[in-house]
Amino acid sequence: MDDTIASRLKMTRRSFLGTSAAAAATVALGQNAAFAAEEIKFWDMVWGTGASYTAAARELVGSYQPAGDNLGVRYQSIPWANWYQTFTSAAASRTTPAVSSGAAFLPFYFIEKGVIAPADDLIASIDKAGTNDFLPGVLDAMKTDLGYAAMPWSMDLRVIWVRKSLLEKAGVEAPTDWQSFIKVGEALKKIDVVGLGLAGGSTTTDGQHTVSALLINNGGGLFAKDGTLDCVNDRNIETLDFLNELVRKGIIDPYAASYTSDNVTRDWLSGRIGMGFGQTGLDKNFPAEQQPDLAVISPIKSPRGDTGTVYYINPLMMFKTTASQASSEAFLGWYLDNMKIFWEKGVAIDVPVRKSIADLPILKQNANLQKSIAEWQPIGKTIGAQAPHPFGALNAVDGGGAGAAFIQQIIEGKTGSKQILETLQAALEKIVK
Amino acid sequence: MTGLALPAIVLMVVVNAYPVVFAGIQAVHDGDLLGLGNFVGFANFQDALTDPLFWRSARFTVIFSLCGVFGSWMIGFALALMLKPSFPGKNLFKILLLLPWIVPIVVSSMSWNWLTATPGSLLPTLAADLGFGRVMFLADPTMAMITVCIFKIWISYPFMMMMMSAALEGIEPNVNEAARVDGANARQRLRYIVLPMTARSTYISWILMAMFSVNDFATIFLLTGGGPVNSTTSLIVLAYRSVFQDFRPGFGVAISFLMTAALVTMSVILLRQMRKANMQ
Amino acid sequence: MSTLASRPRKLALDPRRAGIGRTLLTAIVTLVMLGPILVVFWLALRPRLYTEITGPTLETFAYIFAETDILLWLKNSAMVSILATLISVIVAAPAGYVLSRGRGGAVSAYSLFIFVLQSFPVVVFVIPLFIMFASVGLVDSLSGVAIIYVASSVAVACWMMSAYFDTIPVTLEEAAWIDGCSVFGGFVRIVLRNSLPGVLSTAIYAFLLAWNDYLVALVFLRSDDRFTLPIGLQTFFQQNQTDWGPVMACAVVMLAPPVLIFALLNRFFSIGGIGGALAGK
Repeated sequence: MDDTIASRLKMTRRSFLGTSAAAAATVALGQNAAFAAEEIKFWDMVWGTGASYTAAARELVGSYQPAGDNLGVRYQSIPWANWYQTFTSAAASRTTPAVSSGAAFLPFYFIEKGVIAPADDLIASIDKAGTNDFLPGVLDAMKTDLGYAAMPWSMDLRVIWVRKSLLEKAGVEAPTDWQSFIKVGEALKKIDVVGLGLAGGSTTTDGQHTVSALLINNGGGLFAKDGTLDCVNDRNIETLDFLNELVRKGIIDPYAASYTSDNVTRDWLSGRIGMGFGQTGLDKNFPAEQQPDLAVISPIKSPRGDTGTVYYINPLMMFKTTASQASSEAFLGWYLDNMKIFWEKGVAIDVPVRKSIADLPILKQNANLQKSIAEWQPIGKTIGAQAPHPFGALNAVDGGGAGAAFIQQIIEGKTGSKQILETLQAALEKIVK
Repeated sequence: MTGLALPAIVLMVVVNAYPVVFAGIQAVHDGDLLGLGNFVGFANFQDALTDPLFWRSARFTVIFSLCGVFGSWMIGFALALMLKPSFPGKNLFKILLLLPWIVPIVVSSMSWNWLTATPGSLLPTLAADLGFGRVMFLADPTMAMITVCIFKIWISYPFMMMMMSAALEGIEPNVNEAARVDGANARQRLRYIVLPMTARSTYISWILMAMFSVNDFATIFLLTGGGPVNSTTSLIVLAYRSVFQDFRPGFGVAISFLMTAALVTMSVILLRQMRKANMQ
Repeated sequence: MSTLASRPRKLALDPRRAGIGRTLLTAIVTLVMLGPILVVFWLALRPRLYTEITGPTLETFAYIFAETDILLWLKNSAMVSILATLISVIVAAPAGYVLSRGRGGAVSAYSLFIFVLQSFPVVVFVIPLFIMFASVGLVDSLSGVAIIYVASSVAVACWMMSAYFDTIPVTLEEAAWIDGCSVFGGFVRIVLRNSLPGVLSTAIYAFLLAWNDYLVALVFLRSDDRFTLPIGLQTFFQQNQTDWGPVMACAVVMLAPPVLIFALLNRFFSIGGIGGALAGK
């Protein structure tokens, strides 16, 4: 039966496409490229500045010359849209590439499922070569009971940005703690500027990042130290009460409940947002002449005197579907050693995780980035806080429907803090088993 | 003669059989996307039927589908009536009015977002200028439901317009003319001639549109993602999220089976009613 | 009497006046309905982010044709859609014939069967579908995607064909059969030959479904050189913002082929009364 369909397909194709039959055949024939012997595949998400990042990454990978018996590498850009579907269907059908970048917690899920190879050997060889200059704690954050889930290549660290001109216009100084944050927000509100810009729509995780940052800021988080779910605790309730005050005072924009990340970026650009959490490269979204107007402020203290923020470590993982694990490791090691070009070209907007990159002159001159690395990075935790290390189920927590509804309830401002957290706890219990 | 249907049957069986059987097995297991997990009987179905979010989503599915069916039918029918007589530019308008159906939904969802999302967008600004105050087309749960339904109607009316145009072509011109001579006014002619004579097409277009609406994932997901606070989560969106975002395929597939069962039952009853009423 | 007396005068005046009035009314309604599409054009004609140009410009179009693979995407989209359309029609036409002419339990069961299959949401079954296609090498392949499009359009395509066949008198084939023509021969030579509008309607439906799909393509196509237009669009979506100009310019390019098809085939296209088969004979 399959044969009849296949032959029918070929027939129509041949008769219809005529001249371009040769081209059609190469395109139309399905190939399981992960097992193709000549080269291995590298999947890369559309990071940083988008098209220009992808062009730079493609060029870099194109320049890779494998040594010895190692295989060459083919670059494939993967869109963010529905990424979970792309990766899970590939894993389920064993058509994953050899090496891939991806969302922060995907490797932890995949290593639990035995889909990816631990990076222990690669780390050992980097140690041996004496080039292990990963920033403190970054490699440890990749460690699981089954080995290192992935190699870190950059860090999406959330820091508070302000637009200096708007603060000036409102006649206030940057906040230093939650109380002064409210004061500044109120002053901004008077000049019709949003004091905590965020995107709370269901298709983005930006709002979840902001709220997670504030939960950690107050020493809380969604998990207890033993790794069990612990949404409803005093510290989290305090944080939600704080957020509720921001909502009531109009410091959080009610429209944010449906904002996409594009909507919120445009509000930053138009000067409607004066303050909010953002990636360390937020200023890269602005035209060059406006970039100096943006500044990273120092971490703010919660009423308990705590500081903190959330970060996501962008991973590079090695799948077991590779044609040659040695080739995967050789390529990944080379890639990590040569990726500084992303920062030199200004197409990466996240924090580098290697000292040799962080020390690049161009990054040394970037005061906002240096401040982020010096003051914010050390107090960062993952959304797995306060659990000791990340785990696979976080993949569903980050970006799932429960998280989106949680943020939207906060922005709506109609439900009590405790009840919101109880709803979240109940929803997450079904996901985190 | 039935042999002529074989290619279609083979194709549908080859493509659908494995996924449907596979999904059926997933529905009675508690695994994730990469492993089948343990056999749990009908626990997933039970979980679905006892989950308040399931019923909320079912409610929105009904609202969304009713709007999709009747809203687009009314607009499509009205436009078909408007386009029936010949007048200058008729064919041009006929094509232009089909555009909402032709524009890829990835694009039209973006243009709707652009029109409604931020306070500075066109429609909120317009609403404020007209004295409606602050209208949050997507951020307020109730308004988001309305906006999604209108978006659905906007995407679907061209299909209805084409269905009803074709049905109107089938009415003999002299029947209408005779009624006019007999003194029937426009409304009477619509009620006693046009509606009954297009009834069969109408019912069938309703059933088809109901089927399209219940299974419509992209329209909702691309505009609101099911939010805010799950207000625009329909069953298909819930099923999709359960499978791909929450990694609970058994639960998600169970929802889609329940949904399909309800849809088929409803349609079969409607079709049987139609046959009884002899609207051939 | 007065109505009768006034009728001739009315008839003499009406056509032109009413015609122009209707044109105006239709124009206004069309404008309102097309608002969101005007947005697409307006954004496509705006300058790109951070450029000095003000006012409408074709810059975004220049950019997408010069800097992106849009021609390749266009070619892939066209190949997939045409392939899907061809198979869909070839498969649906004989099946629709059975639905139109057949009687009895088997045909009713067949009718119900395609109805149930059409009711299943493809999007939820993507993973098993993907696993199955991967095992026969149809992943990351334009023909694999085309097969899925055929499977999702074939039910409605059958109904559309069957509805059209209903309008062709059975006596035509019967005469042919008496002349010694086979059932298949009668179908091809008599029925199909007289069904161009039905075939074209079905083809347009199948074409649109394939042309606009993004969910299936997003999962099944993995290589740049196999991207279709809706997936190519995704490359403009950055982590945090979207460069709307090129996206909308691509959208305009994407609109052109279906609009042309409609404009050319408008008079043949009718999806009325799909239901002969659906309602049961």
